[in-house]
Amino acid sequence: MTHEETPSADPAREQEAERAVPPASADPAASAPRASRRDFLKAGGMLSLSSLMGTAALMVQSDNARAAIEWAEHFQKNYRLMTPQEKAEARARLERRYSQEYGRKVNVDTTDAQPGVLMGYALNVRKCIGCRRCVHACVAENNQSRGSRPGEKIEWIQVLRMERGEFAKEKMNQGYPEGLGIQVGGNAYTPAGEVLEGQYRYEPAAVPEKDATYMPIACMQCEKPPCVKVCPVRTTYREPDGVVVIDYNWCIGCRMCMGACPYWARRFNVNNPVLPKEEINPVTHYLGNRPRMRGVVEKCHWCLQRTRHGRYPACVEVCPVGARKFGNLLDPESEVSLILARKNVFRLKAELNTFPKFFYFYD
Amino acid sequence: MKKIAPFTIALAFLASALYAFSAAEKTADAAKQGAAPAQPAKAEATKEPLVCFESRKGASEITQREIKPGWPNVKCSPTTGAALWYGDPYEGTVPLGKMPGLEKIPEGHAVVRPRSEKLAILPMCAVACHNGVGPAFVPPALPKDKKPVPIPTMEGLLPALKDLQHGRGRIWCLDCHHTTKRNMLVDNYGDPVSFDQPQLLCGKCHGDKLRDWRDGIHGKRIGEFASTGRKRWFVCTECHNPHNVQDGARNRGFAQLQPEPPPQLPRGMKDARHELVHPIPH
Repeated sequence: MTHEETPSADPAREQEAERAVPPASADPAASAPRASRRDFLKAGGMLSLSSLMGTAALMVQSDNARAAIEWAEHFQKNYRLMTPQEKAEARARLERRYSQEYGRKVNVDTTDAQPGVLMGYALNVRKCIGCRRCVHACVAENNQSRGSRPGEKIEWIQVLRMERGEFAKEKMNQGYPEGLGIQVGGNAYTPAGEVLEGQYRYEPAAVPEKDATYMPIACMQCEKPPCVKVCPVRTTYREPDGVVVIDYNWCIGCRMCMGACPYWARRFNVNNPVLPKEEINPVTHYLGNRPRMRGVVEKCHWCLQRTRHGRYPACVEVCPVGARKFGNLLDPESEVSLILARKNVFRLKAELNTFPKFFYFYD
Repeated sequence: MKKIAPFTIALAFLASALYAFSAAEKTADAAKQGAAPAQPAKAEATKEPLVCFESRKGASEITQREIKPGWPNVKCSPTTGAALWYGDPYEGTVPLGKMPGLEKIPEGHAVVRPRSEKLAILPMCAVACHNGVGPAFVPPALPKDKKPVPIPTMEGLLPALKDLQHGRGRIWCLDCHHTTKRNMLVDNYGDPVSFDQPQLLCGKCHGDKLRDWRDGIHGKRIGEFASTGRKRWFVCTECHNPHNVQDGARNRGFAQLQPEPPPQLPRGMKDARHELVHPIPH
């Protein structure tokens, strides 16, 4: 049975259908009659769907989590603006990437500041013997870059060695020092003695040396931090428990904060950080010691991955002379509160009104 | 278009499969490379356990071991052999015991590592020579000038005794060591106290330091930072050597240590001599 033989139920409709077919044309462009708009969209849709599926297959099925995660990381928000859901996603992404990169399970903590805690630090400058154990404990804990090429070895704590002043009686009236050293003796009218400005790379056989004083310097976790003021992308900020942190993903590497910091506390990853797989500390915090990337600034954060869970920072635990003290400033019984109450305390460059929560004291 | 679509799908899947395969191979390679340097380190560890000192050399030591895979109890400095990082701050500790002023700290939150394990000659003290019989001095007839009679055996064991400087010559052995129980120290009342609790002896004279130590200002603690948290306290003799408190070369009461390596030099700088000259030569 053919179409022509079928008796039409509605001759008028048939006529209308005939009229809808466009008339034949001599134009070659118009002469392709079969490709209707619907067909075109359908084919185009298929094509884009297949390419999307291919991309998805690339990103989901492949073991190279790095590509997929970096792609997602580019689109994540500033950490402070993330919802808990987004934080959990970011955390899962990072854990997956790090675990693959370093060949072991890496945990990225996102614990928030604990209520009723304002962290504070105190350091006994009279006790410090300049052994630099804190410096290297910090590196072991915080996943800094430890390469050998220039700029690939990053340490957050600097220990400054200063010569002892000469307040000997026979030198009291020797006149003004020659050159531009620091005046260490005499008085305003008859100064005496002169010392070096300070050494960071001292290498004696044994410390402490008889004629030296040591002063470790790291991030002071200011209450009014100049680095936070200048950050153009607001990626560095003060957490409610007092620690100034960096969301490394939002850092653009402009190094404004490094220029603004009066304590030389910030370091910049010029190259890709060198962190051997067997040396990584797998317990990390999102705002703390998770492995950094090239082109971001980093600094001391009082071991957030430890202190948010109540543990002392790494530098406090290794100081062989117990010069480093850490505690909750809101707790009147804490070590730091008792030091503030009893000892002679000063803050470095207090005249800059940065209000550090890192206090130097002496007995 | 219809014809292209199935080909594109096939091509995309093929490419993704290839890519996934190559990525898997790459990670396998990386894993192999990572495993290679780890092996000799493990071999070394099995050869000789790594022992690192904590506060000062010869006082307290920790033997490195793995608590769980890839998580050591302590990391030691390759340069100096000092403990650099604690995976478990409470290893080998026992409760500190009662002490006035610690009422707020929950039971078992103040712990110490027993000193007696590290004192090599302590097990001999009470049995070999000083067996508790001794000359019958009741009360002990101490010499007037408090100068100990030189005993070659003791000086051989503890060279610091040749010139005992503690107290600038005003105190001698039996001011701190129990007269009859030589494996014990003495407290305020002359009663024996354990070597694990030297603070009961030291606090007799250094009361200000004892108070600061009790409050956490003096000395070292590791563990939890909250004032009521669980902490390991370092006792007096873990940092200070009571037989040798003054020394010509040292400074501030601490024995001298080898420092850890200095920071990296800036780009293009050969050495750090620039730090040793005044900013403007004169």
